[in-house]
Amino acid sequence: MELSQFVQNLMNGLAIGSVYAIFALGYTLVFSILGIINFAHGAVFTLGAYFTYTLVVGQFENNGLLKGINLFPNGSPFSGQPLTFALATLLGAIGAGLVAVLIERLAFRPMRSRGADPLLALVSSLGVALVIVNLIQLLVGAEIYNFPSDAYGDTPPALSFVLGGKVVIIRTVQVIIFAVSLVMLAILGYVIGRTKIGKALRAVAESPSTASLLGISVDRFILITFFLSGFLGGLAGTLVGTAFGVAGPYFGVVYGLKGLAVIVLGGLGSIPGAVLGGLVIGLAEAFVPADYSAYKDAVAFALLFIILLVRPQGLLGKNAIQKV
Amino acid sequence: MTDFLSTYGFLIVTMIQAGLLGLSLYFPLQAGQLSLASPGFYALGGYVAAIMLTNPAFAGLRDALGNGVFVLTWVVAAVLSGLLGLAVGVPALRLRGIYLALATIAFVEILRVVSLNLSFTGGAVGIFGIPQSFGFQDRWQYIFIFGPLLILTLLFARQLERSRVGRALRAIREDELAADAMGVPPTQYKVLAFVIGAVLAGIVGAMSAPFLNTWNAKQGTFDASIAILAFVLIGGSRNIWGPVVGGALLTAIPEVLRFLADWRLVINGLVLVVASLYLPQGIVGALERLRRAPPPQRPASPPPLPTAEVKP
Repeated sequence: MELSQFVQNLMNGLAIGSVYAIFALGYTLVFSILGIINFAHGAVFTLGAYFTYTLVVGQFENNGLLKGINLFPNGSPFSGQPLTFALATLLGAIGAGLVAVLIERLAFRPMRSRGADPLLALVSSLGVALVIVNLIQLLVGAEIYNFPSDAYGDTPPALSFVLGGKVVIIRTVQVIIFAVSLVMLAILGYVIGRTKIGKALRAVAESPSTASLLGISVDRFILITFFLSGFLGGLAGTLVGTAFGVAGPYFGVVYGLKGLAVIVLGGLGSIPGAVLGGLVIGLAEAFVPADYSAYKDAVAFALLFIILLVRPQGLLGKNAIQKV
Repeated sequence: MTDFLSTYGFLIVTMIQAGLLGLSLYFPLQAGQLSLASPGFYALGGYVAAIMLTNPAFAGLRDALGNGVFVLTWVVAAVLSGLLGLAVGVPALRLRGIYLALATIAFVEILRVVSLNLSFTGGAVGIFGIPQSFGFQDRWQYIFIFGPLLILTLLFARQLERSRVGRALRAIREDELAADAMGVPPTQYKVLAFVIGAVLAGIVGAMSAPFLNTWNAKQGTFDASIAILAFVLIGGSRNIWGPVVGGALLTAIPEVLRFLADWRLVINGLVLVVASLYLPQGIVGALERLRRAPPPQRPASPPPLPTAEVKP
């Protein structure tokens, strides 16, 4: 591989890998607290993208129930400039976080209070995903939307340089995605590692019953976890939508599955693991040779399968001791 | 009668087929192994049948065997699924719980992407114009092959449960370490249960390819994994009737809700949520409880929260 190609792949891999990382963090946070996998996370990802889309565009042309409704007759206040677009992204992610909280209240908490089989939580969260995806389809149509990327789309590449006679192009949106992801990781790392909320969260993750004995309101911290999870998932959805310029009702399905591969690769429940796993899978996909690009979607699952056989606890997972 | 069958026959056959796929997941679950691999073997079986029934390379075989070729597709699908099940099962069944579930999801996805990109599986388009089994004129006639398979599978499952093997599987489900200590080799039994499920899913696939007339990579997806898991959990995972009832009902619900038009898939999702919240033992489990009055006593204290311990 030529050096220019190598650098290009590296940059592409880092950008997409960092989105995988923040998406997968949402999964892993919930897993570390509840020990369940929230299969609705992929749907929350899609929702985040649609919320941002709604704020920026404000109307839907496709054949859904909302067809023809214009939310902003005088033009959306969120379109046009990078700053307002960023505000819409933030609000979209908050919206996704609130939906995740709602999911917890309606689909997980009743089950938890009854001590039901955690497997049922799997089915329940899948039911929620079905409801969300089909509601989106009903309201705004099954077609794929061109995601507004005018905030960054027309800006010139952030960086382009010649390496060994070939041009390497790093798109602005890639830089933005990478930067936003890094900032999110730093904030999350700070919140979980340094603040009182983070301390309580870690206590709940360690042992919910002990935490509640110590006066921590477990239910409240589970809600906080779900909000963070939904926020990260929704943010990832908008970032991916902006990077690729499209969104559709089934937008999150592939990401939902790849996110699973990411968290298992890194180590279920491990936050640094989710970041490492995201970057590894992003880079591995970016380096798939063009001739085999059809197999790109299998890369994450091949890595998942291999890691499960070689090191089931994942790259950074703790070596669990089996209970007798 | 014929009117009824020609109207609802397709649905009835699909309900039986769903029950069979539910049972294919039920076998490994009997040993406490949550495997979501069924759609992978189902897809494999379907491709085996589709290729043997349409590919020019097998024209001579088809001419020589006549209708026997349909039976041959079931046998070949069963053997190949069993072998692949063995190859995947031996390493994968070292994993437990959610890890096994994720490994089998990965297996299904890898198979899907591979089948999407091979030429003899028809790529993204798939395989078309698969001839009808035994020259059936109507779709409902598939009851004649799916029905006996369901009865045989149920008989087999009942006999298995009553046998030494069935007791070993249950022992492993309840406590693998204790079973191991008592001299029940967990790995062998777990692989056996997994392979039985794989063979069943493969045969169902081979029967389904002519039934659906076309076969493509959409047949074995993650969505199917979850749908089949829902059949078992909503129906009831502790009784052979659970997967059958769950599969039949969850297949019928979207049809019954057809009058709701576009809302029916939303309702379908809600059904999953509500059923998993209010029928934790599944429908069959709840019915059994009702039959076995006295009513269960409420536990004195709420059960502990699930903790996030990691069990590789």
